[in-house]
Amino acid sequence: MSLLEIDALKVTFQTRHGAVTALDGVSLTLNAQETLCVVGESGCGKSITALSTMGLIPMPPGRIVGGAIRLNSEDLTKASEARMRALRGAEIAMIFQEPMTSLNPVFTVGDQIAEAILLHQDVTRDAAWNAAVALLDRVGIPSAAERAKAYPHELSGGMRQRVMIAMAVSCRPKVLIADEPTTALDVTVQAQIFDLLNEIQRDFGAAILMITHDMGAVSEMADRVAVMYAGRVIEEGLADDVLDHPRHPYTRGLIGCIPSLDHAGALKEIPGVVPPLHLLGEGCSFAERCDFARQTCRARQPVLRGAAHRVACFGAQEGWA
Amino acid sequence: MKDPTPRAMIGRAARAPKAESPGREAWRMFRRNIPAVCGLLILICIVLAVLYGTLFYGGDPFEIVWAPHEPPGVTPEFPLGTDYLGRNILAGLLAGGGPTLAVGAAAAVITMGIGISLGALAGYFGGWVDNLLMRITEFFQVLPALLFAMVLVTLFSPSLWTIAIAIGVVSWPQTARLTRAEFLKIKQLEYVTAARAIGAQDGRIMWTVILPNAAPPLIVSATLTVGVAILFEAGLSFLGLGDPNVMSWGLMIGANRDYILDAWWPVTFPGLAIFLTVFAVSLIGDGLNDAFNPKLRSR
Repeated sequence: MSLLEIDALKVTFQTRHGAVTALDGVSLTLNAQETLCVVGESGCGKSITALSTMGLIPMPPGRIVGGAIRLNSEDLTKASEARMRALRGAEIAMIFQEPMTSLNPVFTVGDQIAEAILLHQDVTRDAAWNAAVALLDRVGIPSAAERAKAYPHELSGGMRQRVMIAMAVSCRPKVLIADEPTTALDVTVQAQIFDLLNEIQRDFGAAILMITHDMGAVSEMADRVAVMYAGRVIEEGLADDVLDHPRHPYTRGLIGCIPSLDHAGALKEIPGVVPPLHLLGEGCSFAERCDFARQTCRARQPVLRGAAHRVACFGAQEGWA
Repeated sequence: MKDPTPRAMIGRAARAPKAESPGREAWRMFRRNIPAVCGLLILICIVLAVLYGTLFYGGDPFEIVWAPHEPPGVTPEFPLGTDYLGRNILAGLLAGGGPTLAVGAAAAVITMGIGISLGALAGYFGGWVDNLLMRITEFFQVLPALLFAMVLVTLFSPSLWTIAIAIGVVSWPQTARLTRAEFLKIKQLEYVTAARAIGAQDGRIMWTVILPNAAPPLIVSATLTVGVAILFEAGLSFLGLGDPNVMSWGLMIGANRDYILDAWWPVTFPGLAIFLTVFAVSLIGDGLNDAFNPKLRSR
């Protein structure tokens, strides 16, 4: 029994091209205390997956048309808004991509963390404030008691992301969703944030669902990896398996895009872009960009197959790609 | 050694600048704005004069104390002269200022109350709520404000309260539109989603997350609304729709307007008082606008 199960989730968005399918039968599982990285290019549905899990996709235009999201066997797609509010922050929390804009500019960071605590716990304001200071200290903010009184604009990007992490773990959630938590930060700060997330996971016992497009982040953080493309999971497995022996041509392409100090020469790139969702055809959505694509790929949609290391690619399944 | 050691530099960088709240920063900017500070001083003088002036001078402003149409500066007892009934104009100014300012302030509070509530609901919830509230807003916007206020005042007996309410009821649409626009802009920002992600409910997000961030333009608008409301009150009184039992600057102008060609002073002094007050309030509003404008802050 996994902690979080996303089961054949289908999400559509109403656009001027009609309803487009942003997530088409996405299934993911997250076990207690593990880190699952969801990788893919922009526009492949990573963030929609994260927001759906939080119950935060704007409806309308978004709509969950099928599937389920089960947290401890409770289907969140059927939960009331009041129930979702009680779960958000307490059971599932989220860290956002832009630490510069995800804190409220008119309140001190200590106030904001205390607020998160007060929303879910029956404690006094003083107790919440003290807990906020302790959390700031825990996420490695020096002289936390002073910094708790600082406004967000007085802190650097890395510090703000630490504040966001403190706020997210303030009620000891079981699931922590991190939506590209380091994309906006310097490389040196990125490494610190990864270390912090790993520590926090160890201490607080949270499972982390990390959305990223950075394969470096995957190798730092992930126990398991799911690769998404155009609203579908196309490869999934243990991080070591997927990183060392990628089976889907797209995953191989992504890994080929990592710059390395050892190998001189031009970086590989994947030709083309993710197709617009309203133009997806019958077959494999990656077929247009794939070197190995055959007739079958354009005719039918491959499904995720395999035991531990699953892949949705005819070529990989049949051994010709 | 000329250069500071790296350690010293680290120490200096680590010492954070003293935290300055947005409100205090705005006040610092406001103080540098000389016209705005002048406006604030003028307004303080006017408020002090109307609050405490009657303790030292005047008496009943309705009392006939002298011959009618005594020009200003002739009798030292009545430095601003007397009106068409022989009432003391300076006493009228001091006594009438309180009700005038009170109506202005009360009308501004009502305007902001209605405008912010409806604008916030429309902007935050969007959809049919927005549609409905904006149609109502437009309905109020297309009515000629002065005529509508006149109708309201004549329907109910004119008193300071009905006048303040009438002004509030006709002038909220602009505030509602401004609030709605701010809410539409701010609700898309990531910190609103972040607030939702920690489990905050709609009411909390509206009033404690979005509204404080929308405050600067609303504070400016509220200040200017006070000025507009004072003018409005004067206009209604001028048309004879003010409360006849309470002295106000507008009432003084209204009562004396028929004799404006015989005596200029009974209408000019209350007019100047209104002008000075509204002018001071506008200067303050402009100053607040600049103080809250991040683009002008670094200057």
